Amino acid sequence: MTVPVCHVVKGRTITGADLDYGRFATPALNLDELVWPRREPGPAFDTPLAEIMDVLVALGERLTRDPDGLLAEALERGSRTSPLPRDVLERSFAGLGRLFDRRSMAFQVREELGGADVLDGWREVDDAPSGRRHRIRAFPPRLIHVIAGNAPGVAGMSVMRGALTKGVHLLKLPSNDLFSATAILRTLTAVAPDHPVTRSFSAAYWRGGDVKVEGVLFRPQFFDKLVAWGGESTIRSAKEYIGPGFELVAFDPKTSISMIGREAFASEATLADVAERAATDATIMNQQACASSRVQFVEGTLEQVDRYCALLQKRLGVERATTSAIGNPLPSHLRDEIDGLRDMQPHYRVWGGYEGKGLVIRSEEPVEFHPDGRVVNVVPVESLASAVSHANVATQTVGVYPSSRKAQLRDGLAAAGVQRVVELGGAVAFEAGISHDGFYPLQRFVRWVNDEG
Amino acid sequence: MTPTRHQLLEMIPDPDLAFDQPASDIEPLQLRAAQELFETRRAQIPLVARRAEEAGITRIDKLQDIVPLLFAHTVYKSYPPSFVEKGQWGRMLQWLQTLSVADVRGVNVDGVKDVDDWIGRLWEAGHLVLATSGSSGKCSFLNHTRADSEMKKRHFRHAVGWPFVKSNADRTVFWLGPIHGPNSACEAARFNAENFGRPGHTYALSDEPLRIAEVSRMAALRKKMADGSATPAEIEGLEQQGARKAVEGRDAMLKLADAILDQRKEPMMVAGMWAQYMMLIARARERGIGDGEFHPDTVVNAGGGVKGIALPPDYKEQVDRFFGKVVRPAAYGMTELAQVMPRCEAGRYHRAPGLIWLILDRDGERLLTAADGEDGVVEGRFGFLDLLYEGRWGGLITGDKVTVDFKPRCPCGRHGPTLFDTITRFAQVGEDDHIGCAGTVDSYIRGAIAA
Repeated sequence: MTVPVCHVVKGRTITGADLDYGRFATPALNLDELVWPRREPGPAFDTPLAEIMDVLVALGERLTRDPDGLLAEALERGSRTSPLPRDVLERSFAGLGRLFDRRSMAFQVREELGGADVLDGWREVDDAPSGRRHRIRAFPPRLIHVIAGNAPGVAGMSVMRGALTKGVHLLKLPSNDLFSATAILRTLTAVAPDHPVTRSFSAAYWRGGDVKVEGVLFRPQFFDKLVAWGGESTIRSAKEYIGPGFELVAFDPKTSISMIGREAFASEATLADVAERAATDATIMNQQACASSRVQFVEGTLEQVDRYCALLQKRLGVERATTSAIGNPLPSHLRDEIDGLRDMQPHYRVWGGYEGKGLVIRSEEPVEFHPDGRVVNVVPVESLASAVSHANVATQTVGVYPSSRKAQLRDGLAAAGVQRVVELGGAVAFEAGISHDGFYPLQRFVRWVNDEG
Repeated sequence: MTPTRHQLLEMIPDPDLAFDQPASDIEPLQLRAAQELFETRRAQIPLVARRAEEAGITRIDKLQDIVPLLFAHTVYKSYPPSFVEKGQWGRMLQWLQTLSVADVRGVNVDGVKDVDDWIGRLWEAGHLVLATSGSSGKCSFLNHTRADSEMKKRHFRHAVGWPFVKSNADRTVFWLGPIHGPNSACEAARFNAENFGRPGHTYALSDEPLRIAEVSRMAALRKKMADGSATPAEIEGLEQQGARKAVEGRDAMLKLADAILDQRKEPMMVAGMWAQYMMLIARARERGIGDGEFHPDTVVNAGGGVKGIALPPDYKEQVDRFFGKVVRPAAYGMTELAQVMPRCEAGRYHRAPGLIWLILDRDGERLLTAADGEDGVVEGRFGFLDLLYEGRWGGLITGDKVTVDFKPRCPCGRHGPTLFDTITRFAQVGEDDHIGCAGTVDSYIRGAIAA
């Protein structure tokens, strides 16, 4: 049964099933409507930030209440096309409104840009060594966002950051989340019909890499930057178009790990707590997220580590805010890899089956394949310091237990490429306003323009 | 060997009959043979036993019962690569054991230097392990016995060239690749040399043995790239080594091209890749040799991937014109399969009685039948159980998308199901443009090492 996907163009909802992609169908694309002419400023370029925040707060409240049933419809349709289980989608949608929190947004503007003044107007710089007086502005940008679809929050974050920076924004829908972005934008229309912010957003689907679309749109004549989330193929194909005047802002594809100190074995209760925390980090968005832990380094004897593995495996099959109790059964290529290890005791040991309730592999070194679908690879180590060498440029989050050991590990991890060190169990708690994937997104979104004295 | 299997496999010496068998006659025998084989292998190969147990299969009563027992090709490279990097050859034996019938654990691995050495020791002990020099940098290892190899050679003798030409060990054979080495392409070249070649008249692109260790070195550097310990000089060295090999390959190819052109008036057998034939044509032009100058009884096998090689869009037509009226047989096969499927006059691939076809849905879970298509023509994923192997389990699920015609007769007039000559690959699982923020260090490695 083909699921209908709508587009949103500058506040208007476009329906239709002109283009059939098999599992779903979309309206025809009118490329002319998806750009904002450069000859005129974007609708919200001169809207005061305070007014934009009022609209966003109202958007958050309406998303939480969902009086028009827009999120309910997105859930209904999304559960037919999303790889995520319905209950995880449902809880994610229920939490979307909380993103648009006034204090959080003010914090982001302050931490990332130094305050609203530089968005609303020209900030004086009066202590330059030359003695000249300059004025700078975080000027609203024209952005295409190729968003990730493994968590509805990505669409929410993109709308929030896009609105705060006042620019014009075209969101390319991913095929694994065809409904979150449009549900948010349709709710925005309901909150503030015809408001400049509402007219500053569009969201549409085209097949990623489609040269007929991207070859036309990915040009400095229409947009300043491409904001790409993960998706190696997106970033690789974007390379074709990146050039003078058209820049890439990449939230690179990432993987995450955990480091568990010998303190975990202080008592049975402590170990149970550690296993629960580690399972929480491993199952974020059913292990589809960049912050989901996949490899865990544990200080301990083989006997201790095996005890931990058994406990961890049991906790992987527990329902939490960002995970269902059971995921999809493991894909056959992973099953093949793991089957190859089952008869390799004592060098390898495997806990759990392939039904999607969680599986743990203990090995002397990290496995070569990418643990996915609720699979965790546990590697015993002499010391956490020796595990630092396993972090690399693809490592995003490292969850550490106990928290007190972060300080001794963080510089080494950062040198290896790591972007984020958290207390074990806290990997999911992203704080908007501090750095994300190694940079301050609002700073990268805007165009910095000078009026030099 | 069990009686029904024996009966089916013993049909190949008469290929005109073997490739012309009604499905209604063969399939009950295939099913019985599969049950006989399963009964035996379940007790011998741990992974077959585990798959059977998980799927609750205790007997093969119908073709669908075989489906959960099929391995993916990745099973044959599911060993941890650190075993190879660290020279833990005993552990590699332990791994190979889980996929082998014979006991390989006793093979002496003292003093083994590298992976080629390890394979050499296995061959000495009668375990003829074939390696794929996989482009991913990780090799598969597939065990089979000396008797399997003999049976496979016999199958090639009768199936390669069918129905156009019979092997008679009476011609010069040119093989545009290396002929020595534990690889299925080298093995096929040796079979063709023995089956078709006049003794002493086989010429290969290289007589140096194919070194699997070079592939492993590539994989090892890849790992160093991933963990951040590779130096710029190491990367440069590897890229240059690749360039040097390409030049050496070109020189050898030119020599061989001249030899082929010199003998073009004699019936011979030539087997190579499309890109190599384009080089042959270029050399012929330099020498003023035109199209269609080859002896009409010459057998030309062409094939191979053309990924990443710049070829003119009409390369197939150019090659066709160049060789002119020669014998151009073709077959569908792969490393994991012994009983290759030759292509008939109607352009369809036929199966030998000892090869069970399992045409599956996209996900590889459900067996498709004539009812799943129109007029008996069905598109699906290719799986098979090759009844020939004594050394390992012959059941495999591939990534190949095939179209099968279940109608009782092929347009060539022979009985039995056939495959169309339209084989492509299924897209990776994950499909569409699903975008996630999760990724691996693979995305951060490029160049020759990324392959």
